[in-house]
Amino acid sequence: MPVFKKASAGSNATGFSTMLDRRQLLLGAASAAVGAATLGVTSGLGMRSARAADRTEISFASASFFGKEGLGDLVKAYNESQDRIMVKFIELPPPSSSTEVYQGLIQQLARRNGTPDVFSQDVIWIAGFAAAGWALPLDEYFPKEKRGDYFPGTVAACTYNEKLTALPWFVDSGMFYYRKDLVDKHGGKVPETWEDMATIAAAAQKAGDAKFGYLWQGKQAEVLICDAVEVITSNGGSILAPDGKSSILGEKAAVEAIQFLYDTINKTKISPQNVLSWDEEPSRQPFTSGEAMFMRNWSYVYPIAQDPKASHVVDKVAVAPLPHFAGGKSAACLGGYQLGVNANSKKREAAIEFLTWMSSPETQTRLALNFGLAPSRPAIFQDAKLKAQQPFMASLQNVFTGATPRPITPQYAKVTLALQSGISKALVSGKVEAELKSAAEQINKIVA
Amino acid sequence: MATAVTAPADGRTQKSTRALPSALWPWLLLLPAFISLGSVSFYPIVNGIYLSFTNRSLITQDNDFVGIANYAQLLADPPFWNAWWHTIWFTIASTGLETLIGLAMALILCESFSGRGVIRAAMLVPWAMPTVVTSKMFGWLFDGQHGIINFILLHAGLIDQNVNWYGSPDTALTTIILADVWKTTPFMALLLLTGLQTVPKSLIEAARMDGAKAWTIFWNIRLPLLLPTLLIAGLFRALDAFRVFDLVYVLTGGGPADSTETLSTLSYKILFSTLQFGYGSAVSTAMFITEGMIAVVFCLFLVRQIRKTT
Repeated sequence: MPVFKKASAGSNATGFSTMLDRRQLLLGAASAAVGAATLGVTSGLGMRSARAADRTEISFASASFFGKEGLGDLVKAYNESQDRIMVKFIELPPPSSSTEVYQGLIQQLARRNGTPDVFSQDVIWIAGFAAAGWALPLDEYFPKEKRGDYFPGTVAACTYNEKLTALPWFVDSGMFYYRKDLVDKHGGKVPETWEDMATIAAAAQKAGDAKFGYLWQGKQAEVLICDAVEVITSNGGSILAPDGKSSILGEKAAVEAIQFLYDTINKTKISPQNVLSWDEEPSRQPFTSGEAMFMRNWSYVYPIAQDPKASHVVDKVAVAPLPHFAGGKSAACLGGYQLGVNANSKKREAAIEFLTWMSSPETQTRLALNFGLAPSRPAIFQDAKLKAQQPFMASLQNVFTGATPRPITPQYAKVTLALQSGISKALVSGKVEAELKSAAEQINKIVA
Repeated sequence: MATAVTAPADGRTQKSTRALPSALWPWLLLLPAFISLGSVSFYPIVNGIYLSFTNRSLITQDNDFVGIANYAQLLADPPFWNAWWHTIWFTIASTGLETLIGLAMALILCESFSGRGVIRAAMLVPWAMPTVVTSKMFGWLFDGQHGIINFILLHAGLIDQNVNWYGSPDTALTTIILADVWKTTPFMALLLLTGLQTVPKSLIEAARMDGAKAWTIFWNIRLPLLLPTLLIAGLFRALDAFRVFDLVYVLTGGGPADSTETLSTLSYKILFSTLQFGYGSAVSTAMFITEGMIAVVFCLFLVRQIRKTT
C-alpha cells in the first residue's frame, strides 16, 4: 500500500544487512577491521541470545517499518526490557512491496511449524489467515472489555467469525484534505455532506479559485476499493452483507454512492476525468501544487503539503473526516498492520506476552513518535508528547474513529479483483447499477 | 572446425582401452547440458502444466488433482477472454507497426550517408532502456493534465480539450501500443538491417543497370530476399509482445474497466495476488498454447518461403 511509501527506505537497509553477511563470510578473519564492523552489526542479537540460553526464544516476522529507528531496534528494546523472553526479528520486505510481504508470510505460516510465533499483517489479510487456521484466536487473552481501548473499526477488522484473531497495532485511513484559505472564501464551513462538498467545490471552480474541486483515486487498483468503501459506508451501504456470505453491492445505497463518484466527473464536474487513471501520488500532486480545493487521501500527504520544497500550499491545508450522505455517517477506509499469533506456535504464553507489549500504550506511543505510525488506541492521541511532536497525528483521532474495514472475508484477494473490475467499469461506462449488480453476482460466487 | 571433426575419430581409435562403449561418450558429455536445461526449462514447464490440473492454492491449502476443471472454468471465464483478445490485438498491432516502421528505418540506415554510424547507435537507445523507465516516461508524456502530447495536440488544434489517454478505455490500450512501438521498433530495424545487408549488392547493381527504379528494386529484389529475416524477426517480436507485462502493470494496472488487461497481468494477479496456483497455471498454460500457435503460423510461412527460394 502506497500509504507507507516513506517506509520504503527499509528495502535498502535489508539489502545492506545481507550484503554484510556475505562480506562477513568472504573476508572472515582476513580483514580484521571490516570483519569487526560487520560482526558488530549482524550478530548483536546472536551474542545476546547465547548469553540468555535459559530464555524462551520466539520469532517475530513483520514488514520492515522505518522511521527514526527500525523494528529491529524495537525488538531489541523489548529483549533488554525483561529477561524471560528472547525475540528474534524476521525482517520481511517493506510494506510498499505488499505482495511480497504477503507471500513471505504465507510461505512461513503454511508450513505450520510454529515459525514465526508472532507476525504483523495488513488488515485485509486477517480473515484469510484466520480461515486457514494460521492465526490463533485471542479472545481468552483479550476479553471484550479490554477491546474498548482500541478504535472500534480496528477491532472489527481484527475479528473473523466472531473471534478476535488479531490484535490492533497501528492504523491509517482515508481522510478529507481541504484548503483552509478556499474554504474561508467560500462559506467558511468545512462541508460535512457530499452534496455540500460538491456545491462548494463547484463554486470554487467556477470562481477560478481552484482548477479541480475534488480529487480522489479511481485507478483500477486497491485504492479504488478504499474510496468505494468510504462513499458506500457513508450512505449506510456495504459491499458484503453482515454475514459475509453475499454481496449487497447492487443495492440502492451502494449504487447511489458510486453514482456520486461518477457524477463528480460527468455531472458536477468537480473532478477531472483523469482521476480514473490516478492512484494516490498522481492525485496528491495537483493538490500540493495548489490546483485543488478538496482531496481524499491517506495521512502521508500532510508532511508533503507542509514541506516548502514540495508544496505550494504550506500552512493552507487541513484535514477533516470525509463527508457523508444526508442521513449517513462519515466513514474512512481502514489501513495499517495488525498483530497476530501463529496458531501452531509452541510458545504461546511468551508470544502473547510479546504481543501485549507490542500493542501496549507505551510501544504504540513509541511507534507514533519514532516511526510516524498512528496508534490504534484513542487514548494515546491525548498524550502531551505526541501533541507536541506530532500535532498532525494527534489531530486525527476523530478521523480514525470512523475507520471502516474493507470487506472481511477469507477470499478478499479474489473479491478485491472482482470489485476493482466492476467499480471501474461502472465509473467508466456510467451504467452504475448494472455493473455493480453484475459485480455483486460475481462476488456472490466467490464468497458463498 | 577441422579439429572438432577429427577429434571423435581419434577417440574411436583409442576406444578399445576405455571401459565405456564409444556410443555412450557423446551422451555422457551432453549430460550436463541436458541436466541443466531440463532442470531450468523442461521441469518448470511440465510442472506448470501439471499444476494447471490441480486446485492448488496457498491460501486454502488445497492440492488435489481436478482434471480439466480449471480449463472448463477458463473457457467460460469472461475476464480471461477479455484479456486474451487484448493480448492478441496488442501483439498484432504492435508487431505490425514495428515491422513497417522498422523496415523503413532499416532501408534508410542501409544507405550510406555521413553520420550513419552515430545514428545507427543512437537508434538503439529506446530499446536499451528498461521497460519500467519507458513506462514511467510515457506515463508523463501522455499525462491527461500536464502531458506534452496533449499540449502539442491542443496547440496544433487537433483536439479541443485534453484527452485522458490512460483513463479512458478507448485510448488506454492504443497508448500502451504506442509506447511499445517506440521502444521496440529499433530492435526490429536492427534485425531487418542485418537482413538487408545480406542482399547481394551485385543483384541490385544489375537491376539498376537494367533501369529498374528504387521501388521496383525494393519490391522485386530486396523484399523477397528479406522475407525469411522478416518472418523470423516478426516471430521474435510477436512472441515477445504476447508476454507484455511491465508497460501495462506500471501504466494502468489493467484498467480502466479491464480495458488494458492482458494475459500476463491477469495471470500475475491470479497467481500472486490470490495465490491460486492451479487456476493461475491454467491461464499460463493457455498463454503457452496460444504462443505455440502463433509460432506455428510463422513457421509455416517460413518453411513455405524457404521451399520457394531453394
